[in-house]
Amino acid sequence: MNAIEIRDLEFRYLGSKKPSITVPYFSVSEGESVLITGKSGSGKSTLLQCINGIIPHIMNGTRRGETYIFGEPVSKARLPNISRTVGTLLQDPERQVMNYRVEEEIVFAPENFNLDKDTILQRMEDAIQGVAIESLRGRETTKLSGGELQRVALASVMSMDPRILILDEPTSSIDPEGTREIFKFLKNEKGKRTIIIVEHKVERVLPFVDRIVVVDNGRIVLDGPTDRLIEEAHNLIDLGVEIPSHILIANKLGIRASGIDEVRRIARERGMIPHERARSNGGPVAFRAEVSVSYNKNFRLAAELACRAGTIHAVMGRNGAGKSTLLKGIIGFIDKDQAAFSVSMDVEDKKLRNPEMRVAGRYLGFLPQSFDLMLINNTVEKELNYSKKVRKLNGVDELIENLKGIFSLSDYAKSDPLTLSQGQRRRVAMAAMLASGAKIILMDEPTSGQDYMHKQNLGREMAQLKGLGYTFIIVTHDSRFVYEFADWVTVLDFGKVVLQGTPESVFSKSEYYGVVPPSEFVLRYENEQLAS
Amino acid sequence: MNSLLVELISWLIFFFGVGAPLYLIFAAIGIRGFKEITSYEPYNTLLYRINPIVKIALSITVMIVAAITIWWIGAFLTIAILASYLDLKNGKRKLVIGMLFVVSTVVGTSWGYAPFVTSSILSIAFPGYHPVVIWAWPSYFSIMGYQPQLTLQAVEYGLQISFRTSSIMMSALLLVMTNTPSQILRTLHKISIPDSVIFSLMVGMKSIPMVFTYLDESIKIQMMRGLGSRHSRFLKPFYMLIGGIHAIVPTIIHLLRGAKDIAISADTRGFRATKKRSYVEDIRFTRTDYYAVIIIVAILTTAGVAILLGFGRTIPYVT
Repeated sequence: MNAIEIRDLEFRYLGSKKPSITVPYFSVSEGESVLITGKSGSGKSTLLQCINGIIPHIMNGTRRGETYIFGEPVSKARLPNISRTVGTLLQDPERQVMNYRVEEEIVFAPENFNLDKDTILQRMEDAIQGVAIESLRGRETTKLSGGELQRVALASVMSMDPRILILDEPTSSIDPEGTREIFKFLKNEKGKRTIIIVEHKVERVLPFVDRIVVVDNGRIVLDGPTDRLIEEAHNLIDLGVEIPSHILIANKLGIRASGIDEVRRIARERGMIPHERARSNGGPVAFRAEVSVSYNKNFRLAAELACRAGTIHAVMGRNGAGKSTLLKGIIGFIDKDQAAFSVSMDVEDKKLRNPEMRVAGRYLGFLPQSFDLMLINNTVEKELNYSKKVRKLNGVDELIENLKGIFSLSDYAKSDPLTLSQGQRRRVAMAAMLASGAKIILMDEPTSGQDYMHKQNLGREMAQLKGLGYTFIIVTHDSRFVYEFADWVTVLDFGKVVLQGTPESVFSKSEYYGVVPPSEFVLRYENEQLAS
Repeated sequence: MNSLLVELISWLIFFFGVGAPLYLIFAAIGIRGFKEITSYEPYNTLLYRINPIVKIALSITVMIVAAITIWWIGAFLTIAILASYLDLKNGKRKLVIGMLFVVSTVVGTSWGYAPFVTSSILSIAFPGYHPVVIWAWPSYFSIMGYQPQLTLQAVEYGLQISFRTSSIMMSALLLVMTNTPSQILRTLHKISIPDSVIFSLMVGMKSIPMVFTYLDESIKIQMMRGLGSRHSRFLKPFYMLIGGIHAIVPTIIHLLRGAKDIAISADTRGFRATKKRSYVEDIRFTRTDYYAVIIIVAILTTAGVAILLGFGRTIPYVT
């Protein structure tokens, strides 16, 4: 029997003219692992919601056709009963976890099912061991890192012992170590239950799935074994799928190897290696900051950062290494009654020491991870003109017009920013920040939760802005993005700068500090040569 | 009195009523302070050991007593609950934050009512009403809706209303600061509160501290973008208020997007799967709880006696 079967399904959200998903037929066998991918807004999450019963039980819209879970129609079952069979892990653990302690979160579902105490405790133990979170026992969920929290959320789903496990972009908002642990779990679970995973990091998931499904524009456009990824690599890039560099090379070489070492060996034998990436040396040092933050006896950050004009400077490192603290320290977002902190900076020939935010804001722009919080005006036009209005800036009209062009916002000038798509909102927020007149731009995890196409767009925009004299400091875990677009990398560990240099020089030594080099780098360089 | 002096004092009183609560909320308490008094922190003192049912009963009792008795009984309850904050983790700090919050509520609410309340209402509220005039406003203050004179009874009327809310808020915060959402879920489920109500409360408890985090971030970004950059630091609380108002819509939208995920998270993990719910950790009724119940009964009895002695204030205060 199929674990999942979909027949003649079509769903459109309320107010939408076009169906968000149309699936004539789709099935998944019991024990099979399936990767679903595609660009943001393609219909992947809608497809998942049709499987786990969110559609039609929570989401409103027009639906026809049916999804069957082990032969039972989803529309006729109660959602809590569907959840006895289908476990769902959401994208953002901060939004999924609702209890205070780790154990409370894990037993939430078995308690809901009114299981007896011994069974609940056994389920909790199994889940804790299955997801390898013994070290998190007794911890408060509010004090866990993103990766730890996601594993707690996963354990809480596993405590239901679901026959079907759905993972909706489980690693999109967590660090590389958390990602590694999730994939380790996937490896262990493969074959034990039916797994459906939606993920942009195709490269990392591929070894743990039997099949790949690509969704585009509300339809399944590819459904087959993982080998199809190699055959269709170039078409899939156009569909916004992040294809690993070594698979693109394998495709060019006409070989069916999918392992990076094998592809590298053959590519080198045939003299086909990725070209060297051009890096900007930039002009003179445009920004220098010395930041010291001491939260308590356990954590102290002391770091110096120097950026040349017209470059992209990436700050990387493990979770808790101090990356976001460094960024917050520079812009003065740290509460003085929470931590002892000081910052001194040289910017535009000025020396500033512990400047107020409104003073620092003349030189520095900041794009937070939750960029929606920036959008306070009711039209895009007003959002872009906000700094001009409150700072009484002169001569920025041309800049604002240019930004509208660069970020393709002219057509939305009268729209409410909060009603736009995620990609559009991100562009409005970025343009609004640049319109403040600041030339040093700090960005916290700008690629988090974004698909390959959006990341590429962001990288291109930043590259274009570099040419206009903007300097970027970005905190990110995305090695591939850094390798493709950054000019300089700083790696932090335990609050100290441990590596600095071009991406090529940093990635040769960074794995020790939790920064995994991207496959293009591995293909291009012999690690041992760089290390020497 | 010199008319210039009258003008000066009148405007000082006006700005005190408007500015003091804003200053207390944005400068003295701050967003971090609000976050502290709306979040649970683990600790093991008496207040943390009391059964949540008892704390809910206390909140309801305080609400009833504050509503039906004279203002100073509400004030006494507020002070008593505030004093109990010393038993909390970082008790002194939470007591200070709580006091600032009470003062801002009392000043803001009293000043929001006292100058506007008419003598016809006061004569209903105070049988045998003989106005005791504290201050006579300049005549043009009537444009703002002010009555010609501020009376002692009008201030008392304002205090009556403010202490109704402050005591209830303090006791509700006590519940939130000393219990995890799952403890409250268990408790409410046991006393057969509908699941939809319980779920709303859980989402609220999870969201309130986040509201302050998001507001804080949004206001700081506005400051970086230039909000208040052309004015004195002295006006910073005023610009924080403007920033806070601007931040409300993006914060709510951000939270609503999150709330949908919380609903999905609960429903896909069997919430409401069965009528009964089992618990790994049961909440027991201990001797401490019985003592707390005795206190609740004492409060209710005192309220009854107060009403019999003529200190009841129910019908006139129709707000």
